[in-house]
Amino acid sequence: MIEYWLQAASTYAGDIDFVIELVAVIVGFWFFLTVGIFFWLIFAHRVSRSPRAEYLTGDEEQPKKFITWAHMLVLVCDVFIVWAAVQVWYEVKQELPLENGGQPQVVRVISQQWAWSFVHPGADGVLDTADDIRSVDELHIEVNRLYHYELSSKDVLHSFSVPVFRLKQDAIPGRVIRGWFEATQTGSYDIQCAEICGIGHALMPARIVIETPEQHAAWLAGHSPTQLAAR
Amino acid sequence: MREFRAICAALGALMLAAAAFAEAETGDGGARGRQLFALCTQCHGVDGGGRREYQAPAIAGLPQWYVSGQLEMFRSGLRGQHFDDAEGMRMRPMSLALASDADLQAVSAHTASLPLVPQASTLPGNAAVGSAYYGPCIGCHGLQGEGREPLFAPPLVGQSDWYLLSAMQKYKAGARGYGLRGGDHPPALAQRAALAQGMAGFSQVLASEQAILDVIAYILSLEPSAGGGE
Ligand code: HEC
Ligand code: HEC
Ligand SMILES: [Cu+2]
Repeated sequence: MIEYWLQAASTYAGDIDFVIELVAVIVGFWFFLTVGIFFWLIFAHRVSRSPRAEYLTGDEEQPKKFITWAHMLVLVCDVFIVWAAVQVWYEVKQELPLENGGQPQVVRVISQQWAWSFVHPGADGVLDTADDIRSVDELHIEVNRLYHYELSSKDVLHSFSVPVFRLKQDAIPGRVIRGWFEATQTGSYDIQCAEICGIGHALMPARIVIETPEQHAAWLAGHSPTQLAAR
Repeated sequence: MREFRAICAALGALMLAAAAFAEAETGDGGARGRQLFALCTQCHGVDGGGRREYQAPAIAGLPQWYVSGQLEMFRSGLRGQHFDDAEGMRMRPMSLALASDADLQAVSAHTASLPLVPQASTLPGNAAVGSAYYGPCIGCHGLQGEGREPLFAPPLVGQSDWYLLSAMQKYKAGARGYGLRGGDHPPALAQRAALAQGMAGFSQVLASEQAILDVIAYILSLEPSAGGGE
């Protein structure tokens, strides 16, 4: 349902949406039930029907049973939410999947006040070689390909957020945080900072450009420092 | 005759008022300029004299054409959008925070109206040696480092030495004056980007770190002129 408002472009976007929708449905059910009962009570015990209120001390079990049952049921629902959330958390954040054939592509994501910089591994697929492509405010990746990212910050807390991936990961100065994503469709989408990081926080947007293998190869060739130098 | 004079005077007053209304080009940017400048003071200091802890240079007393020109370059990514320019990337969003061209001009006029703030010398360098290195710079930055508007070359006198050093290092590393990089920009901006690229080219004549320090020592020994780069 969330896809209706915001495109889903990663392999795990559906799982995250599922948790959000599950929480919305369960909590929504209890919310509307409670509010319904509440208004029904107001109406049923209006002045003209029942002018006197009764005071309960809570010492007897019998009058409290409706509340106790409801509490039990809510706890049962919590089990579903916790089960789904832990499962998705494990898949998306805890695990670092490997590509069937071996190591996946690794991109470096560097946050600072107030811009995103990226290091792409270049045509050889390996970081820290001469053909690495460094860019500001623009990350280029290939569709249907597993990527690991190494997220760092030069100064304060930031958060690497790609809404269409349903990805949000805090960047913490002094740490390199690893994660992964795999895009499922091409296009150009927003990257934003999701952690207040100073006066320019709202002004550090970037783009993620998801390309077909051919487009990506062309981009790599057009931006490779070694090839540019050779020209 | 008298009536004619009165009409001329009235017309003249009207034109002046219209000009002042159309552009905050001249003057000190007015109340709007002062209001916008409050944003800048966080990093550049309340007097616009710069704050080294933020690597933010002095902007007080820089001519309006240079401040507005740089703000436009920041805004369009012709400066402050390079992997190795951490400080420029901090400044760029501030230029994007200026909502309109009128605001951009108003805050530039305000900074230009502020008096120069004296800068202490913090770096070692030999001004006598540096005077020879300054030769190639004269054509654009002027004999007294006063700057040349037609070449978009800013005044260098009055600026702090640590910022001049950092600027030269960025030009040499290609982190500033990196040209259009294939982007599409209006001719006036494209021309400035080309001039900045020329500056990046000239930075290469100073081969060593010591040569840069010496030329900076020489620039600091020059007397700031009253006009400031006109
Ligand atoms: C968050 C801190 C910050 C704020 C706020 C800020 N600046 Fe800056 N500004 C910088 C830094 C850092 C630099 C140095 C960039 C570099 O090293 O290339 C800079 C550079 C500049 C320059 C270039 C100076 C030169 O000599 O080339 C101008 C002009 C400027 N700022 C104007 C402004 C104006 C006008 C404002 C207010 C609207 C402002 N700045 C607000 C941090 C800031
Ligand atoms: C061809 C003309 C030209 C020559 C020659 C030249 N410059 Fe520049 N210089 C410029 C221009 C144009 C700019 C502004 C460029 C920009 O937008 O970044 C500039 C900017 C600078 C800045 C940055 C000032 C600031 O406030 O950010 C420094 C420092 C500088 N020049 C030093 C030098 C020195 C030292 C030399 C001599 C070795 C020199 N320049 C030679 C044109 C020139
Ligand atoms: Cu941020």
